[in-house]
Amino acid sequence: MEFAIFFFFAAVAIIFALVVVLHRNPVVGALSLVASFFALAVMYVLLEAPFLAALQVIVYAGAIMVLFLFVIMLLNLQHMAEPVTRPIQQFLGYTTGAAFGVGLIYYLAKYAVFDKLPEGAFPSDAHSVGVALFQEYVFPFEMVSILLLAAIVGALLLSGRTYAKREAAR
Amino acid sequence: MIPTHYFLILSAILFTIGVVGVLTRRNGITIFMSIELMVNAVNLTFLAYARQFHQTHGLIFVFFIMAIAAAEAAVGLAIFITLFHHRDSIDVDEANLMHW
Amino acid sequence: MAFDATDIALSALKIGIVLFMMLNITPIMVWVERRGSALIQDRPGPNRVGPFGLFQSFADALKFILKEDIVPAQAHKWLYTMAPAFGLLPALTTIAVVPWGRAFRLPEKVWFGRHVFENRPIFEPVVVDVSAGILIVFALASLSVYGITIAGWSSNNKYSLFGAIRASAQMISYELSLTLAAVSVLLASGSLRLTDVVWRQTGYFVLFDTLKLPAWNVLSPAMWIAFVIFTVSAFAETNRLPFDFAEAEAELVAGYHTEYSSMKFALFFMAEYMAMGTMSALIVTLFLGGWDIPWWNEPATWQGFLATALFFLLKVTGMLFVFVWVRWTIPRLKYDILMRIGWKVFLPLAIVNIVVVAGFIAARWI
Repeated sequence: MEFAIFFFFAAVAIIFALVVVLHRNPVVGALSLVASFFALAVMYVLLEAPFLAALQVIVYAGAIMVLFLFVIMLLNLQHMAEPVTRPIQQFLGYTTGAAFGVGLIYYLAKYAVFDKLPEGAFPSDAHSVGVALFQEYVFPFEMVSILLLAAIVGALLLSGRTYAKREAAR
Repeated sequence: MIPTHYFLILSAILFTIGVVGVLTRRNGITIFMSIELMVNAVNLTFLAYARQFHQTHGLIFVFFIMAIAAAEAAVGLAIFITLFHHRDSIDVDEANLMHW
Repeated sequence: MAFDATDIALSALKIGIVLFMMLNITPIMVWVERRGSALIQDRPGPNRVGPFGLFQSFADALKFILKEDIVPAQAHKWLYTMAPAFGLLPALTTIAVVPWGRAFRLPEKVWFGRHVFENRPIFEPVVVDVSAGILIVFALASLSVYGITIAGWSSNNKYSLFGAIRASAQMISYELSLTLAAVSVLLASGSLRLTDVVWRQTGYFVLFDTLKLPAWNVLSPAMWIAFVIFTVSAFAETNRLPFDFAEAEAELVAGYHTEYSSMKFALFFMAEYMAMGTMSALIVTLFLGGWDIPWWNEPATWQGFLATALFFLLKVTGMLFVFVWVRWTIPRLKYDILMRIGWKVFLPLAIVNIVVVAGFIAARWI
């Protein structure tokens, strides 16, 4: 039963990831990425981490991809014809990627097979994550909040400068 | 219980698809989305190992990766918009001068 | 994860009941909206189709099914067709984690000569009782932005795009204050599960050693601000007046669903009313005590369950009427004022409320 769910959503994730990478229209790509993230959230639930599954949908599918969609729609990017990649770049890209992927999967299948899981429940609920965040990892936690502040200020500055320059150019 | 190496192989496949996307596309937004795909594949790996060893360190790592990826997406898209306004083109191969 | 026939049958029954309720919200709310607005505006309202116009919804449904389905020429066909489905998905699934009755032990019975419920399993009237309960609601509610954005963009129409961009910007802004206002409730409850949130509200506040008030979160002074912020943000999330920039009749033709006709429009319509129903259920669960009947210790039997389920339905109906009432009373805000309130007023107030609740918990007043 779990294997059926796993294979179905793994197929969904892989197929939509392929659509992202291969389709011309970035809006279709963005929506396929949302579907892929949703399938990954189901994977997280299968890994006994429902808290992180909900976080994945809230942060990635619900916020980051909305940001992507806004940028694509407001800049009207879907009408811009993307120049076709040169054949040599396509060939090298696909072969290098395929070689890398095959090597990775081979070594994973050879060395990363575990036979059993430890006993007990996996402490993946909000309580355990919260305790760990505020006790062991409190320093990275505070640093990430400063980093988010820096990101907000940076994004505002970057977009504000464009607006001011265009106003000055008028 | 689904064995851990199933998740690891799925993650490897998604990562490879992301790598191919970054190497072969010329649209800045699509390259960005492929990078996000790669980051998510890594998230899956972290979670698979966290479950394998029943530790919360993997979960905390995924938590931080999500926060940082959000910040990176915001700033990266702001940079892309600025670049687009200057060049009126989404082709990253054309942004090949250090200063215009 | 051993499922047996009893578990599957009970889950199917729960899903059936919840789906039945959700799908019936739209026709009933259409009638309530039209008669309620007529009452507020001092006019009769629909009264031709059946007594008190009760069969108006049937007439509307028939109209939607029989109308011609027009697809604009330059619209992106796939996305145009799938946008109503994007809108419907969060509306139908978020109700899964809301508890709608008291849990009780099933009595042993003999059906068709077989003993069922032998080990007296507990019937928990939640479709899914996850440990990260309310996060699922927020996760799926944040997907509702996509329905509107894709509908507006794929229609290939300036007005639709304007309506969609404005509505999605509004929705993502008010999602923040919605989440943070709920966080203060969760802080006081100590758990993310909605069943725990309701159980905590079944107690009593004892004032002056005599007056026993039900321990509903709305009656606790620490969470008054959170109640107001959550309710107003719920209006913004479901795109109801005074926040209905998605539709904005008389301003944007019909906003993001301008180009939609017949069944696709009906799906958007349904999705909006179902989202309203889910938000009302959430407000009732988080602040108004959920299924708790005040001043009565509900027994853990099927009679107690039925009484609490009906009382929950009553509360949700009351909240839905408030939604209709506000729509026809308060005018629409200007868009920049709306965004300013969302970011500069509600977000700081919600954070302040979290600090206040944390202070109450530290001082052991909660």
